[in-house]
Amino acid sequence: MTAIPGYTYKFSHTHLLSIEDLSRLDIEHILDLSEEFAEATRRGERPEPHLKNNTVINLFFENSTRTMSSFEIAAKRLGADVVAMPIAQSSVKKGETLIDTAMTLNAMAPDAIVIRHSASGGVKLLSRKVDCAVINAGDGTHQHPTQGLLDTLTIRRAKGRIEGLKVTICGDIMHSRVARSTTQALHLLGAEVTLCGPATLMPAGTETWGAARAMSDFDAAIEKADVVMMLRLQLERMNGAYLPSQREYFRDFGLTSERLKRAASDATVMHPGPMNRGIEIESAIADGERSVITEQVEMGVAVREAVLKLLSGRRV
Amino acid sequence: MKTLIENARLLCPANGIDETGALLIENGQIASIGEANGKADQTIDAAGLCLAPGLIDLRVKTGEPGAEQKETLATASRSALSGGVTSMVVMPDTNPVIDDVALVQFIANRSRETAKTRIYPAGALTKGLRGEAMAEMGLMSESGAVFFTNGDLPVSQPSVLRRTMAYAASCGAVVASRADEHALAASGVMNSGALAARMGLSGLPREAEWIGLARDLLIAEATGCTLLVDQVSTARSVQMVKQARQNGVKAYTSVAAHHLFFNELDVGDYLTYCKVNPPFRSEDDRQALVDALTAGEIDAVVSAHDPQPPEEKRLPFAEASFGAAGLETVLSALLVLVQDERITLLEALKPVTCRPADIIGVPQGRLAEGAPADLILFDPEKPWLCERENLLSRSLNSPFDGRRMVGRVMHTIIGGEIVFSR
Repeated sequence: MTAIPGYTYKFSHTHLLSIEDLSRLDIEHILDLSEEFAEATRRGERPEPHLKNNTVINLFFENSTRTMSSFEIAAKRLGADVVAMPIAQSSVKKGETLIDTAMTLNAMAPDAIVIRHSASGGVKLLSRKVDCAVINAGDGTHQHPTQGLLDTLTIRRAKGRIEGLKVTICGDIMHSRVARSTTQALHLLGAEVTLCGPATLMPAGTETWGAARAMSDFDAAIEKADVVMMLRLQLERMNGAYLPSQREYFRDFGLTSERLKRAASDATVMHPGPMNRGIEIESAIADGERSVITEQVEMGVAVREAVLKLLSGRRV
Repeated sequence: MKTLIENARLLCPANGIDETGALLIENGQIASIGEANGKADQTIDAAGLCLAPGLIDLRVKTGEPGAEQKETLATASRSALSGGVTSMVVMPDTNPVIDDVALVQFIANRSRETAKTRIYPAGALTKGLRGEAMAEMGLMSESGAVFFTNGDLPVSQPSVLRRTMAYAASCGAVVASRADEHALAASGVMNSGALAARMGLSGLPREAEWIGLARDLLIAEATGCTLLVDQVSTARSVQMVKQARQNGVKAYTSVAAHHLFFNELDVGDYLTYCKVNPPFRSEDDRQALVDALTAGEIDAVVSAHDPQPPEEKRLPFAEASFGAAGLETVLSALLVLVQDERITLLEALKPVTCRPADIIGVPQGRLAEGAPADLILFDPEKPWLCERENLLSRSLNSPFDGRRMVGRVMHTIIGGEIVFSR
């Protein structure tokens, strides 16, 4: 981060709810800190136990093995006590409202709560009812800020910069919280983001997220792209409701070696996972040398370590 | 018993009166207007306040029968009086549904026993509101149902709608219908568009309103039925009704007061008090509705009062119930437009007094000799802060919560009796 004379940067947020709440400096600060964690892990070092004696609750109203484990590992590396609360074990199914759950957990005085909820805005609603830091681990089709940050960090490591890069994101843009968060983060750092997907899965007004272009022609969208990010398509959307069939989707929107030739010669390939091999992306590409898909997972832990360190123990 | 209200600014939208003077009430009716002559048993000095007909609200939901925790006829009435609403039509989508004579009479009886506001039931258009078999419109009309509606879920089968409207036309009954092609908007929770997409919320498209409206207008034209288009929310809907009228369709239009005040941006941070259906639309749509009101193209401004308790609203936006409490803010929402010089005071009062009165065929809603003395005394410029804790409805889900408002009812009079004073 560039130092500005006479100005000391301070990360001032209590929660991480949306990329929209962050400034460019905030994002760069989180990425720099994440990178330190990532490098330390690669060197085989354990970080300082910044979260020693802290309790972090993982409250997941939606099933997620990957994101929940990533947060759990990040918190434990920093020395926190982690309590996992997947939906099946909570009383929400017995009719308790989200706000009641929030107030109950709040009374147990955790230092941070990581929440995933199926309703857009659900995490923000919860955050208003608790005193501790809340980290949004995905709310409906709205936001998944740590994913946006880890994608940005992965790109920055692969390309050495974000400013001026051409990034193409392809798939089910409409239902993707990843597309929203990642587009906003990349735009804030100066990338030129193209969103691409079938017309039935392209929402209105993507320019308000910072996307430079929105289109349904993948061949045109991928032209000279420095980064190509494929999104997961829920299989149930391909039974005729939004798309005629998987094979027709793959023909028009699948990432094949042939198609990838249109992108820049050193284009990086990404996917937030879990992948539908052969539907969104050819296996050979997913496993190929251009792919940074496993590094995305690695950076996920690093970003979550950084965010937990910055927010844990913050009080409303 | 004679009561004289003197020193008032008399406002009668029906005959264009706007003058300072007195009004004499005798036996619950307006006896004379203008000069104070003769002796009265009681004299009220209005001290320059506006004296106008009480408001007539064509769309109110309560929870009685079936969901009294939301609102009863009595608590809705209390709320209405505070807002200057002296007559209101209650919707049939209760539990049980108001779809037969006994239930129409139940509403009438409960209203007489527990509420001071005049309450008129709207009957269900189809039995159980299931959209399959038509309800006893003739008999319900005779028992006091003022129009027929399928409530928030319009009849989906065009064949059923056509038959019910043809039948209603033969009984001389008015059919109110929400313009909504529900199948196009089933999962929507706010106005479709860029904002909904960014917030990750599914949209209620304008097309759903237009398709539903086009269907309703065409069937009204084919059957000769009088249609009350229940709560338009877009600029184009107003144009569609206007054009249908030019083709000879008997159609009235209502707008919910909150649609004159809010746009989709007011949903802001997932504020569930702003979750209503039809949803708050774009600012262009809101402006067009205000223009239509100014041009006299809106027949009725309604509260669309729909009380929802906290357990229905303190939820993630997509899971919260639709509906806003509105009885106490209709008049002020209009007076804000008067204050902004968008509309004159008399024009603003028409769609809440004489015009809705004509739609349901009641004698009130005007300052006329022999009309029921249902009146309000209000200060059109009094500023106030709308705080939900101070609302008198049993449910406090007002989108106006925290807003600065202008214009307030000071006294409400029904049948010559002061039933509310602030």
